[in-house]
Amino acid sequence: MGSVVSAAVPFLADALVVLGVFVMTVGVYGAIRMPDTYTRLHAMSKAVFLGVVSLCVSSAVTGDPQVIFRVALIAAFLIVTTPISAFVIARAAYLRGESVEAPGPVSEPGKPPEDN
Amino acid sequence: MHEVVFYLAFAWMTVLLVVSVAAVIRLRSTAGRILALDMTTLMLVALLILYADANRSSYYLDAALVLSLLAFLATLALARYHGERRIF
Repeated sequence: MGSVVSAAVPFLADALVVLGVFVMTVGVYGAIRMPDTYTRLHAMSKAVFLGVVSLCVSSAVTGDPQVIFRVALIAAFLIVTTPISAFVIARAAYLRGESVEAPGPVSEPGKPPEDN
Repeated sequence: MHEVVFYLAFAWMTVLLVVSVAAVIRLRSTAGRILALDMTTLMLVALLILYADANRSSYYLDAALVLSLLAFLATLALARYHGERRIF
């Protein structure tokens, strides 16, 4: 049983690498497909970050404790900071009055959008 | 077989890195460019993690950690300066 698990671990790492690269590909495709900054935020920050976390898990599966600690630190730091980066970029775009190009925008209460 | 997976992942990640650098150059809005720069640095972090995983070495992970820290600070400073004309 233990030998079966230890034989399956490299294939699990390969599958996680393929999954991470695929998710990052989806994020980069969203970067060139989406019309404006607010919709690009979805693809770029979330998908690319999830791809990096998948690569982190794949190198933690096969690694020794040094690798596992460093990778867990990177993943935890990215989990904390990616929403902050996305929020700050969206706030900058909103304060500069970037228009919404996606169909069917809704104006929320507060400061109305300048032009769309 | 595992080496083949890693080589293909390296090649494809390099293609993605080139595309995201092209997005930094080609996008028209400044906030989108800041976002693409953040994505480019995340790509570099992913490449470093992949390289450490392929070489069974943990030293590249230190570089990846420092790079993600610097990318967060740079994104924060750039976006705050772009949005409200001051950083702090």
